[in-house]
Amino acid sequence: MNATMRLVSAEFRKLFTTFAVPLSVAIASVLAVASVLIDAVVAGRAGQPAIGSAASTYQMLKIGAVAVVVMLILGILAAGSEFRHRTIVPTLLATPRRARVFVVKVAVVALFGAVFGAVIFGLGLGTVDGVLAAHGIHHLPAAVGRMYLGTVIASACFGMIGVALGALTRNTVGAIVAAIGWTLFFEEITLNTVAPHLEKWLPVGASIGLTNPPAPSVLAPTAAGVVLAGYALAMLVAASRTTIRRDIG
Amino acid sequence: MSVISVSHLTKRYGPVLAVDDLSFDVHPGKVTGFLGPNGAGKTTTLRILLGLAAPTSGSATIGGLEYRLLADPVRQVGAVLDSSTFHPSRSAAQHLKVIATATGVPFRRVGEVLDLVGLADAAGRRVGGYSLGMRQRLSLAGALLGDPGVLVLDEPLNGLDPEGIRWMRGLLRSFAAEGRTVLVSSHLLTEVAQTVDDVVVLAKGRAIAETTLADLTERSSVTRARTTDATLLANVLLAAGIQVRLIDGSTVEARSTSADTVGLAAAAANIPILELSRHDEDLESLFFDLINDRQEVTA
Repeated sequence: MNATMRLVSAEFRKLFTTFAVPLSVAIASVLAVASVLIDAVVAGRAGQPAIGSAASTYQMLKIGAVAVVVMLILGILAAGSEFRHRTIVPTLLATPRRARVFVVKVAVVALFGAVFGAVIFGLGLGTVDGVLAAHGIHHLPAAVGRMYLGTVIASACFGMIGVALGALTRNTVGAIVAAIGWTLFFEEITLNTVAPHLEKWLPVGASIGLTNPPAPSVLAPTAAGVVLAGYALAMLVAASRTTIRRDIG
Repeated sequence: MSVISVSHLTKRYGPVLAVDDLSFDVHPGKVTGFLGPNGAGKTTTLRILLGLAAPTSGSATIGGLEYRLLADPVRQVGAVLDSSTFHPSRSAAQHLKVIATATGVPFRRVGEVLDLVGLADAAGRRVGGYSLGMRQRLSLAGALLGDPGVLVLDEPLNGLDPEGIRWMRGLLRSFAAEGRTVLVSSHLLTEVAQTVDDVVVLAKGRAIAETTLADLTERSSVTRARTTDATLLANVLLAAGIQVRLIDGSTVEARSTSADTVGLAAAAANIPILELSRHDEDLESLFFDLINDRQEVTA
């Protein structure tokens, strides 16, 4: 195995030897399934579209946000905990080439994010399939495949954004609070109310363009993917510069 | 030939000069004590040596190379910088396996080093539940993983119980005896006096002594002379370049010299000596004198 592959293997080992990954998978799985089931229960009531309609299935499958937010937190933990628990010291003593360490960590978290997004969306989709089958419905609307792929891409991008935030702040708690504050309170509640036409251009807004069914208020999937990847790349460039240059105190 | 070489190293944090034009060498087959009070710049120097911080100017090399340029760092240098560099939810074995995976060290070595540091029974326990002494041992296990020829340890005796301290001393001595290079920092000279061969004493970022422990011990002894005119004798000795201190009106204390020298100097000046005695000051006092006076001592 060459040095880069050894590092990839070590980064995966780091991910799978703390509680963060199993806990994240468990929480996201429960949230995704619960979200589908709640939407299934309220379908057809109080003005909600009826089960079997494309609108109802899309509503049940709006679970990409679960994978995205959980991956954001996991990304922050993957990078931030190196500083919080000072494991960055043995990491850099073993591999003093910081750029390589950073790139590999980003790649591993992105890869994990893609698989994570696939698993969580797959779980939700399986639940939707079961709900629909119970109603004798055996077909899915056209955009489901695109939403699946969008969730995979958005989860990978948010994992990378998390790594960038964790490396930039070197403070897991602060970064998680800031990230949740941004995604939930700033983008989703404040901006969505005050200036909804701007929101689609921001990270969470762009991820909705990927994970949710087509709508006039969100970007088209390709544009959304480009915007989100652009944010991830910009933040990674900023984080890599500080990570490579800053002293480890 | 030196293995570790620090040359005109300077590190500035804003207005604070943490390391100030520091130069010293560390040789193989010896344990070198890197000593100084807290805040003297020891850890900063070691961080720069290990590639974790960048120097403002100057260099710190291992085998002639900066740490970041070493081909296989864990097999060349084992380092312990602080005793808490573990994820609390990983076990000791998992922590070491992460390093072993990244560096290609075979996993059987993980068991060997855990055994060597006495943590074999606790290998599967989460590090979060470890005592400070156990963490210190695990840090050392990480440093030994690649069976390196150079060990760099920052305050390795902190948190160890007396048995642990004895064990660590034995380990460092055996390492040096095998021809390896050992650099150990401490803020207490007496803590490492039984272990080190050479010492580099640091105060306010500068080396104020780079010598052997034997030489330092020699310097820690004083000669006291009781005479009829202590002031006159003190001036005679001072003129001969000997460090003196007036104890009282009749007694002079001379440092870093022999009773013979004091006696002969007094005779040459026709000053009667009533009593001449030699005293060994404790090393710690000398250490404090050194770091407070900042007198330069070289071998």
